[in-house]
Amino acid sequence: MAIPTLQGIQTALSGLLAQQEAMDTVSNNIANVNTQGYSRETAVLEPTPSLQIANLSQLTGEGAWLGTGVTVQTISRVRNVYLDSQYRTQNSALSAASTAAEELEQTQSAFNEPSSASIASELSTFWTSWSELANDPTSEASRESVVAAGDQLTQTLNQVARQLQTIAGQAELQVSVQTGPNGEVQSYAKQIAQLNGQIKLAEEAGQKPNEMLDRRDMLLDKLSSLANVTVTQEADGTDTVAFGNAEKPLVEGTTVNWPQEITEAAGGELGTLIGLTGPTGALTSYKESLDNIAATLNESVNALHGEPPFFSGTTAATIKVALKPSEVKASGTKAQGGNEVALAISELRGGAADEAYAALVEQVGSNLQVAKNEQANLKTGVAAIENQRQSVSGVSLDEEMTSLISFQRGYEASARTLTALDTMLETLIEHTGQVGL
Amino acid sequence: MSNRITPEMIQSATLSSIDQSLEAVQRSSEELSSGKKILQASDNPVGTSNIINLDYEIEGLSSYANGIGNGLGWLQTATGAMGNIGEILQRVRELLVEGSNGTTSEENLRSFGVEVTHLTEAVKQDANTQYGGQYLFAGTATSTKPYNPGLEDEYQGNEEQVLRAIGPGSTVNVAMNLSGVLGSGPGAADGKLLDVLRTIAGDLTEATPEARKRLGGVDLKNLETNIEGLDNLQAAAGAATDQLKTAEARIEAVQATLTQALSNVQDANIAEVSIAYSSEQAAYSAALRVGATIIQESLLNFLQ
Repeated sequence: MAIPTLQGIQTALSGLLAQQEAMDTVSNNIANVNTQGYSRETAVLEPTPSLQIANLSQLTGEGAWLGTGVTVQTISRVRNVYLDSQYRTQNSALSAASTAAEELEQTQSAFNEPSSASIASELSTFWTSWSELANDPTSEASRESVVAAGDQLTQTLNQVARQLQTIAGQAELQVSVQTGPNGEVQSYAKQIAQLNGQIKLAEEAGQKPNEMLDRRDMLLDKLSSLANVTVTQEADGTDTVAFGNAEKPLVEGTTVNWPQEITEAAGGELGTLIGLTGPTGALTSYKESLDNIAATLNESVNALHGEPPFFSGTTAATIKVALKPSEVKASGTKAQGGNEVALAISELRGGAADEAYAALVEQVGSNLQVAKNEQANLKTGVAAIENQRQSVSGVSLDEEMTSLISFQRGYEASARTLTALDTMLETLIEHTGQVGL
Repeated sequence: MSNRITPEMIQSATLSSIDQSLEAVQRSSEELSSGKKILQASDNPVGTSNIINLDYEIEGLSSYANGIGNGLGWLQTATGAMGNIGEILQRVRELLVEGSNGTTSEENLRSFGVEVTHLTEAVKQDANTQYGGQYLFAGTATSTKPYNPGLEDEYQGNEEQVLRAIGPGSTVNVAMNLSGVLGSGPGAADGKLLDVLRTIAGDLTEATPEARKRLGGVDLKNLETNIEGLDNLQAAAGAATDQLKTAEARIEAVQATLTQALSNVQDANIAEVSIAYSSEQAAYSAALRVGATIIQESLLNFLQ
């Protein structure tokens, strides 16, 4: 049994084609070196089935297996699913901590402590103005400065209360926009469902839809910063996505289940925002504390001042000075020069309102400090996992250049083999049977 | 885990270390430019609440110090006015002693009488002394003249105390009850200073031997009783002044301690931060330089 004459040419051709395809893969990797979410691809080369040549050996009559070349079995996407799920878990936690830090940072700057322009300093000025009035109870100027200091204090309280209100309002708005129709959640979910469908079709047709898989993974990464995400890979290539603590999966095959109810336990940005503005959330508790301080001020000063009341309004947003300078009383019943009321009010310095305020500032500060520390820790964690993901899936130019050279050389060598075979055949066709010519 | 290193990894690592170095540099520069180590509550929540409480206390102490300063000024002025009255009374006493012996002519006695009437007016004027627009000797009726000029001697004020806070919950009365010495004149017939002075003036003008006898006897005795009353009041003013000064010294000492405590919590250690700042800057430059060098290089630079 002889070897087919043109088999070598076929083999060389398969080499040319395979090396070319591998070079195309390298080229695609290099082109996508800076593409976010891109996983590097490798051409998996595989020898083609050997050709059996029977009775090759005249001595033993044994046959042999002749290699017939190479083919690209598949272009595989280098990706570690376990790292993806770790990344998403950590990313949700980081996003939750970052959102908390961001919101609390805004809150802290509303309080603007420690500084000389804050509720604490306005409280001090207010008590001092009463001391001054006690020293000079008949002075019109002292009365005016009591009212001015009171106005300043209540306006600062009103303003901080408004800022807290705005921060909470924006957080609620953000949640309703993101979870609302055509919000980020729905839009990511729709895209994932669509990709699920396309990937399923492609895999049924035996294709490797790498770029769709990359896109779906990137969408899942983005979704994980909104709330906790759990991804289950189905046999048909689709991903089932559980989102936060929603009852039904957000994406199931090509179906999107949204809107659904989620709570603080959803994690991620949305969970944090829902938690902060919820009935036990930090923003709510700050508002309550500030309202208590306003109510304490109102109650304690009015009780000592008697009629007409000095303050009106018992919440931080509504408290204001309710009287004219001429109605400010330094003394209850005694003559103009009496000062027992002013003295008693000035003794409120360092009292319940002041103490509650200092405690509130400490609370705000320590909540933010905790969130920031958590954020810093998780940032390191996410960076480490991202690093590992990059180590697996990222494109290394050094590596690609090396592959490029080796495939190029492979291509050149296959071409050289073809030339050699051609020369061999030329000898056979052109020069055989012309002996003596 | 595989040890592949990709440009993306180097880039993000470099970027994150540049970020970290820059953040440290920024933090130190903020501390240096503000001189404070606690810039926001979250830097040190407990420290911030300490700062707020210390500020409350220091501000409270300075308002006590203001009250004490005001009280001291008030007492000093009152002591001055009472001193004037004391001098006037010495003059009246001299006139009495001179008038009571038989050698002074009736005419002189009458002129002494006129002088005592003038001196009585001067006493009332001193009793109307003001401090910062407030009458010192009218109790809490500080806008009311205690005594009207002229022959009407009735006291217009009240006997209430005028209090100055010297510390949490503790006050000092700075209103000296001068009306207790001066009384309300002959109308009240209370035997107090104004009543006595009017009687003396009357006796001098009368200039009879009986009147001369009264001058050296009951009038002189009554006058001396009232001089004693005034001295007691001066002593009370002195005691109140001492009390205020003691409180002032105590407040100054506490203020110094609290200010030191505040500075310990709040102020940056400039030497320490400066050194940290320069080493952080060095780290930042190094991170930049390394980043710039590493990222430029790849196998591409060496392939022909």
